[in-house]
Amino acid sequence: MKRKSRRAAVLFAPALAWILPLSAADVDKSKLPPAALRPVDFRKDIKPLFESKCYFCHGPDKQKGQLRLDRKADALKGGDSHAPDIVLGKSADSPLIHFVAGLVPDMQMPPKGGPLTSEQIGLLRAWIDQGAQWPDDGSSVSAKHWAWEPVKRPTVPTIDKRQAASGNPVDRFLLAKLAEQKLSFSAPADARTLIRRLYFTTIGLPPSPEEVATFEREFRTGNRQLAIGKLVEKLLASPHFGERWARHWLDVVRFAESNGYETNGTRKNAWPYRDWVIRAFNNDLPYDRFILEQLAGDAFGVDEATGFIVGGPTDIVKSPDPVLTANQRAEDLNDFAATTASAFLGLTLHCARCHDHKFDPIAMKDYYSVVACFAGVRHGERAVKPPNFAELQAKADGLRAQLATLTKQMERFEPVAQTGTNGPGRRPPVTRGLNLDRFPAVTAKFLRFSITATTQLEPCIDELEAFTAGAASRNVALASAGATATASSTLPGNAIHKLAHVNDGQYGNDRSWISNERGKGWVQIEFAKAETIDRVQWSRDRDNVPRYNDRLATRYRIEVSPDGMAWQTVATSDDREPFGGKANGGITYSAEGMAPAEAKRLEELLAARKKWEAELVSVTTFPMVYAGKFGQTAETFLMHRGDPMQPREKIGPGVLASFAPKLSVPLEATDSERRLALAKWLGAPENPLTARVIVNRLWHYHFGIGLVDTPSDFGLNGGRPSHPELLDWLASELIASGWRLKHIHQLILTSAAFQQSSVENQLSNRPDSRPMALDSSNRFLWHFPARRLDAEPLRDTMLAVSGKLDRAMGGPGFDLFEANSNYVKVYNSRADFGPTEFRRMVYQSKPRTELDNTFGAFDCPDAGQVAPKRSRSTTPLQALNLLNSPFALQQAGFFAERVATDAGKSHEAQTKRAFQLAFLREPTRDELAASTKLVKAYGLPALCRALFNANEFLSVF
Amino acid sequence: MSDLRRSPVGQLVNRRNFLQLGGMGLGGVALTSLLAEQGLLAAGSGPIRPEIDAARPYAARPPHFEPRARRMLMIFCTGALSHVDSFDFKPELVKRHDTPMPGQDKLVTFQGENGNLIKPLWDFRARGQSGKMTSDLLPSLGELADELCFIHSMTGKSNTHGPAESQMSTGFILDGFPSMGSWVSYALGSESQNLPAYVAIPDPRGVPQISTRQWASAFLPAAYQGTPFNADKPIANLARPASISADADSATRDFVKFLNERHLAQYPGDTELSARIASYELAARMQLAAAEVSDTRGESAATLALYGVTDPNKNKAGFARNCLLARRLLERGVRFVQLFNGAYAMGEGVGNWDGHKTIATQYPVHANILDQPCAALLRDLKARGLLADTLVAFVTEFGRMPTFQKGASGRDHNPSGFTIWLAGAGVKRGFTHGATDEFGYRAVKDVTSIYDLHATLLHLLGLDHQRLSFYNNGIERRLTDVHGHVVEAVLA
Repeated sequence: MKRKSRRAAVLFAPALAWILPLSAADVDKSKLPPAALRPVDFRKDIKPLFESKCYFCHGPDKQKGQLRLDRKADALKGGDSHAPDIVLGKSADSPLIHFVAGLVPDMQMPPKGGPLTSEQIGLLRAWIDQGAQWPDDGSSVSAKHWAWEPVKRPTVPTIDKRQAASGNPVDRFLLAKLAEQKLSFSAPADARTLIRRLYFTTIGLPPSPEEVATFEREFRTGNRQLAIGKLVEKLLASPHFGERWARHWLDVVRFAESNGYETNGTRKNAWPYRDWVIRAFNNDLPYDRFILEQLAGDAFGVDEATGFIVGGPTDIVKSPDPVLTANQRAEDLNDFAATTASAFLGLTLHCARCHDHKFDPIAMKDYYSVVACFAGVRHGERAVKPPNFAELQAKADGLRAQLATLTKQMERFEPVAQTGTNGPGRRPPVTRGLNLDRFPAVTAKFLRFSITATTQLEPCIDELEAFTAGAASRNVALASAGATATASSTLPGNAIHKLAHVNDGQYGNDRSWISNERGKGWVQIEFAKAETIDRVQWSRDRDNVPRYNDRLATRYRIEVSPDGMAWQTVATSDDREPFGGKANGGITYSAEGMAPAEAKRLEELLAARKKWEAELVSVTTFPMVYAGKFGQTAETFLMHRGDPMQPREKIGPGVLASFAPKLSVPLEATDSERRLALAKWLGAPENPLTARVIVNRLWHYHFGIGLVDTPSDFGLNGGRPSHPELLDWLASELIASGWRLKHIHQLILTSAAFQQSSVENQLSNRPDSRPMALDSSNRFLWHFPARRLDAEPLRDTMLAVSGKLDRAMGGPGFDLFEANSNYVKVYNSRADFGPTEFRRMVYQSKPRTELDNTFGAFDCPDAGQVAPKRSRSTTPLQALNLLNSPFALQQAGFFAERVATDAGKSHEAQTKRAFQLAFLREPTRDELAASTKLVKAYGLPALCRALFNANEFLSVF
Repeated sequence: MSDLRRSPVGQLVNRRNFLQLGGMGLGGVALTSLLAEQGLLAAGSGPIRPEIDAARPYAARPPHFEPRARRMLMIFCTGALSHVDSFDFKPELVKRHDTPMPGQDKLVTFQGENGNLIKPLWDFRARGQSGKMTSDLLPSLGELADELCFIHSMTGKSNTHGPAESQMSTGFILDGFPSMGSWVSYALGSESQNLPAYVAIPDPRGVPQISTRQWASAFLPAAYQGTPFNADKPIANLARPASISADADSATRDFVKFLNERHLAQYPGDTELSARIASYELAARMQLAAAEVSDTRGESAATLALYGVTDPNKNKAGFARNCLLARRLLERGVRFVQLFNGAYAMGEGVGNWDGHKTIATQYPVHANILDQPCAALLRDLKARGLLADTLVAFVTEFGRMPTFQKGASGRDHNPSGFTIWLAGAGVKRGFTHGATDEFGYRAVKDVTSIYDLHATLLHLLGLDHQRLSFYNNGIERRLTDVHGHVVEAVLA
């Protein structure tokens, strides 16, 4: 292709183009390559072309001349100066074609990377001539979207009195819609069906036969609505309510008690968050406060609530590779921000990580603003501070001082290193913590610590100390005392492992030195001046919460020198117990060869030390909770294409700019202030999404489908509400009630809609407008939607019916797996269960991405991602698990024992009791006959095993 | 929005459709009309979500277009098999043995700094008519070079085992996405009516690094989870418990059926109820079929010897039995079989291909387990004519460095260029696609991503990777995310 000669005006041409776009008449269309003759497919023919040739300047990241070609609406609208760039049906008149064909001087597109071929231009022309068919990508919907509009309280429809038996506004909205379709509610369910349904959706457990009997009586003899109202009140007040609804919330926020990824280590202190959610629901914590505590509970003395933020997976595999490290942090932050937006706003914020959101008004900058709100948060545990924290701190300081004095007094009883005598067992083995080497006082300016063997890998020392002899002993190895450290080598690339850490006065793995040689290495300290020293102290991980046992020096030599040339060995590991030997974890003091009074004195000192150390532990040990570590906020940058290695402009903390209310968060806001600001914005009554999203979740779990059937996507790509006015009415009702969720539950549960039969009411309608034909998916709720129990209530119900359910609440969870103790956890399903495992399944210590081999087949979410809506499948493995799993069999056995105890020996009585417990009803005559036949031939456990597999047992209907 | 996508039971049940099925019975007539419907759907360009009959979640469903392969076997070598020691021959690496890699001074990778380039620890030689150079590490597989289609330019997104294994099996480095086998069984169901559509066969030494996530259905319905079992460990809860007699079991099931049918009569037209009745019938058939497929007594002595099932090395014999099981599953129409070689549980490099420290002593152990049984499986598939419509993909999570790690005698992780191979239905035989640089460090020619691999595998199975989707939480999810191009060059 010929290159056009550049003219003098070249510099001005683009600028002119802005002001004076060339009209289509100005170009020589005869030079256009012909349009292709075949039908063109946008996806196959055009999109790849746009992708490879245009998106760099006119795609998600850049829109030169405001032209954007990756979204239908924008592309068809065109850029600033030539719009429309694509003239439907008229390729020869389309500026886009003129540019790619080089008909407009200095507007040859693409400007780099070579022009399009004639064939490519031909395809583009054909595509435009054929009407520029572009599959709808949702971008044509403007920023006007129902969910972005403020919540307005609609008027409750007035409807035919005959239909509105309950007068519940929920019913009025539903009936108004049904009436439009000439439909109505189905007949009310019977008392037994209703109480069972109410129990399951509200507390996730079945009623007892006695409770059913009482309710049936009240239902029959008294005012039905009164009986229902009373029951609903009782259920909402039950502590089991919080347990059931916490499980729903834990799905929504991807909570699990392990790290995920390949190591998937257990988080043994994550459960307090689960208990907090249960309490919050039981206490009807106002929803705005519920948000506030989960994001910033540390500011209100509710530390465990922030378990929400770090409830997701994190990759703990550390590497010196900076790209991997940056990616891991970016994934953590993405999880914090995306889960927050998903849970509270029903928005897919993560879609704006690499480019502006393709459907919703969320800019990339918004994404990084929310990320910045979490810039001070890291995965991990933190101590839950008790109310008298300051008092305890003061006490701890006192104890530390007492212990320091005491240690001084004990020095004279410490064993001295014996060099050259090779007397094993004289001194204790080396430990990860403090190791002491005493030796006769010697004057030196240099000290060298040489390692020749380790437990594994390169040796690590967190601190090396040398103390002067006599009174007022000082550590002269400290850098702050003027000493300098050198070493054989240092492991590169780790900020936490540096030579300077070896004499910085700080302990712990994160302030340590590691050599760059397997199993060996040396550190040398040059004191500020010659000093008389008589002991060296060193450690590998002397932290308050030590973590590491590896890299420990097991063979070493300590030498001193006056000049750095002539060296004298003062201590070695040779006279220590071998590593792993008599490990008593400290220094062996001895009064051997001393006066008897001295021996007595040593005993007293040791006793005092033991007592004070125990006290110190008790006043400094606080319960730990996996609720995140909060600290300094790192700077946040917009990452080009979401790549953490391509930071662009700095982004301050903030909220989503397109959504009310407007809020700016100062750049210098602390970690806590950022999270508080975000939480308050989320819980603001003006926020159009928060209230709608949560009332919809409640609806979703009660009816099996939400008014919006995409519970965590209220955006343009999500579902439209089936009853927008009802949704808004419930949202406004929630806010008006002071964000009380139980109020919404109560409205839903006492509605006639909830009380309908699930048997489809086909008789009350004309045959030609049968509801099944009009609304097969029951979006208008003309009958109650029946469904299988979720995995957890199913297991709970088996236990309740077998009589083994332990209703104890809270505390650490139970295990359905036997985890190995490796770095990488492997979870094997357990085969035998005892009373410890007979608690409700919400108390299972839930490992991420692992499903147990009985209930995992029942669409249990694995917490790898958020699960706002469970899939519900029916599989043969479910059947096999309920028929043959050790758990099902064991519980069928217990169920049989219970029935035998209750009903005695008569097969008929046994059958009746079994039906009462499992189905909450009497058997029919033929059921009784078939059952007794089964029991007679194969025993009561066979019947109980069968009942656990019956649809009537497994479903809510 | 389609009715199906918004279905209240997680996309499995379409009530209107059920009524049609109900009217005609659940048999073949309805299925035919279903296929015709889907055929029409396939002409467009939007997402294709298979129409699934809740009562028969494993029923065969039509592909998007004529497939080259009817079923697939994925052989997954966990721990990351070194391409430079096995299939990717680099003369320059031999030549520059024990010298620094040019331009990569003090290169830091996953475990730290790298040392010098190190030549392959096993000699390479030309194999078969194609003369493909492969190493003596895996001689039996080498002998099959004329059957194989190598891709030397594979690249992955993560240099950490877990995320990288996830990407190879699920397309994503994050947890929580469905594995390829789940996508395929969701799309196509199975040709075996009595076995799970998707079977994962863990190594006799244990599960891979990311354990059950390798075969998780994640947000796809649980019906499409891989069912894990191997020659040593049957499907969990499959067998009738020993404490229950066959008569008692059968009477109990009859009684369950009696109860369920009565319940269904009260709630007519409830798809979930009839689906559950059907699931109990399938479960009963599966008990027989799964027992039958695992029973190798009918196999000839020659076959058993070919695989090495009587080898004194119990890990090798176990893997050989798993290979044989894989063939038997494929033979019976199971749609997707994922066969694992290597397990994590024992730690770095001990039970798998993660050769950081002493590759010279670690690799022969694993090669001995893999080579003969795996080659036998391919030969057996071919001999039985199964290779004609079975697609085989031999993969690993990433490759290894052409250098040794500093201070060690092994190689660090390397996702920048590694080798996988394909065989069987629809792929070129004795063919090589793409290349790494002169040392085997980075893919440089026809660079291929895991997305491309998945797109290609789906294509061979008759599925358009851009259209096979499932709506989850705001996004039409795909195995290939928003990426992937079919690697046309490898198609036969």
